[in-house]
Amino acid sequence: MKHEVKDVGGSVVIAFEGDVDLQTSPKAREALLATVGQGKPVVVDLAKVGYIDSSGVASLVEALQTAKKGGQTLALAAVSEGALRVLKLARLDAVFAIHGSVDDAV
Amino acid sequence: MSNAPALNLRDGAAEDARRFQANLELLAEMSQDFAASRDLDAALLKAVGHITDSVNAEGGALFLLDEQGENLRCHACVGATEITGLIIAADKGIVGRSVQNNLGEIVRDVSKDPNFFGGVDEKTGYTTKSILCAPLTVKDERIGAIELINKRGGDGLFSPDDLNFLEALAASAALAILNARQADALLEQERIKRELELAREIQSSLLPRQPGDDAPIGGINQPAREVSGDFFDHFPLEDGRICFCLGDVSGKGVNAALLMAKTASLYRCLGKAILSPGRLLALVNREICETAARGMFVTMVGGIYDPRTGVVTLSNAGHEPALLLTPEGEFQAFEAEGPPLGILADPPTKDGYPETAIDLQGGSLWVFTDGVTEGYTDDAGTELGVDGVKRILLDTRGQSLRARLDAVVGVIKPGDDGMRDDVTLLGVTDTAAERPAALAAAERVTGSSELIMSMRLPARADRLRVIRHAVRAALNFLTCADEMTEEVILAVDEACQNVVRHAYGGRADGEIAIELRRDGDDFVVELQDFAAPVDADNVKGRDLEDIKPGGLGVHLIHEIMDDVQFVTPPAGVGNLLQLRKRLQTKAGAS
Repeated sequence: MKHEVKDVGGSVVIAFEGDVDLQTSPKAREALLATVGQGKPVVVDLAKVGYIDSSGVASLVEALQTAKKGGQTLALAAVSEGALRVLKLARLDAVFAIHGSVDDAV
Repeated sequence: MSNAPALNLRDGAAEDARRFQANLELLAEMSQDFAASRDLDAALLKAVGHITDSVNAEGGALFLLDEQGENLRCHACVGATEITGLIIAADKGIVGRSVQNNLGEIVRDVSKDPNFFGGVDEKTGYTTKSILCAPLTVKDERIGAIELINKRGGDGLFSPDDLNFLEALAASAALAILNARQADALLEQERIKRELELAREIQSSLLPRQPGDDAPIGGINQPAREVSGDFFDHFPLEDGRICFCLGDVSGKGVNAALLMAKTASLYRCLGKAILSPGRLLALVNREICETAARGMFVTMVGGIYDPRTGVVTLSNAGHEPALLLTPEGEFQAFEAEGPPLGILADPPTKDGYPETAIDLQGGSLWVFTDGVTEGYTDDAGTELGVDGVKRILLDTRGQSLRARLDAVVGVIKPGDDGMRDDVTLLGVTDTAAERPAALAAAERVTGSSELIMSMRLPARADRLRVIRHAVRAALNFLTCADEMTEEVILAVDEACQNVVRHAYGGRADGEIAIELRRDGDDFVVELQDFAAPVDADNVKGRDLEDIKPGGLGVHLIHEIMDDVQFVTPPAGVGNLLQLRKRLQTKAGAS
């Protein structure tokens, strides 16, 4: 798994690529929290995440909670079919603002 | 003038009576003073005052020999010069000479005595003219001496008559001092005895209560002295298993008892969280190495018994071998695989002390201290020995655990001075008969199912990817529908995560065995770990409010699979989780 962070408009977009599982989710969590730490609206691009497990989902939830505490927004964008399946199974698809594309989200 | 002798006689008799009275008063006074105050020095001060007045001297001092008999120390002093606390060598000066020779001394004129120590006079400006000194002795026991200085009135010099009187008084004083000291020692002994009794009470409260008649684990401890360096313990774990231990601290007495209390407490406290006897012993070992007195160590056996499987996980740190008695009457000994606790801070392996899994299969396991095997069984000094222990255990088969413990300890005879050593014994009797036979086989997938793939791999996060690929391959082989394939991969991954994260508690060398099967219309996944059993209740789905990874993962497993349950693993060790889901093939639901 790797990730990329860039500024788009007033938002900061973090894009993940690869599997987010027990082994890689600590890194994903760290990157998410650092991004939220910038204080801007956050968009998480999940287009290239083929697989995400409960530890990855938990990292997303933690980032969302941290953002909300700071009065920021955190949205998911271009969520892959696999990732969306897990969010639905976890009944968290309604918890996140989910956009079709990064452009829609920023 | 003819009356003079008669007068003298009368005067002499009166003087004798006065002196006799003074002596009696001294004895009574000293005994009372000491009894009232329990302060020997205060009683001595009064006694010196009494003696000085009785002999009509200007000053007096009482010296006592120290415990080594090397020095004389002034414990009380009146009149003349204050020298309380003065220490002089036991063979120096007039006092020293009197003690050494055990004879009274009179120095009518000190200026002519070479033994006179003039140092005090020089410092105080007081002029010592004449000295009386009498030893304090009872029979041949030298206690010290009493010294009087300068007779009041007249020429200030003592007479031989004064010495006789002082000697009489000194003999009485010596007796009173000795009595006081003995009373003191007796009181001290009583105090120590009371404290030891208290320590014994506290110590026996550290031991578990006597087991009930049907309890699988029980022990017995008989201290040789008031307190014991041996201990045993057993306590239930939350998962239904029972943790136990038995240990022997080197040495006897209070220091051994204190280390025993520490070791037993550490084991009990850590034992409820660390579900591995080997790692538990390693932790206790490190703690003892860091803090115990040098040269002390503990031999110890720790174990966990699972009443559901009859398996004991045992670890032995330098202790006598544990004995397994099989239902067929065979014995097997399990030797120590690591040094006693408190010697080497580093454990024998990176995971602590080695562990052995022992399947009792309805038999029993026995651990004991050398006080049992080295105990005398008769007045001739015949030791019970390991063979003796085995014989009794064989003879008492079928009896209750309590009866068997009593039978072994009962043959050990205390000698004239009580037990030779602490005697401690612990037994584990397997209640296999009450266990449903072959439970494991009944619950497991029967032979009718078809094995797709079997693998065993390290329970590590980086192997989860391998597992996902394998499950995908198996489901593709079964032409499983895409949606179900993705979901089952997630469910298996989550179940394996729980093993990696929780079952082995962070240990890196754990393994996980996975079998993928088709059982009729079902796809079945069996996951086995080899760690301590987990509480199945924790594996039920949690409220979604609790979005910790663990809780969420379990929720996902239950959401995806049709059936999730723990079944009894075949080897009796670890956990076996069975996941089951009706297979949906690509052609449509079957």
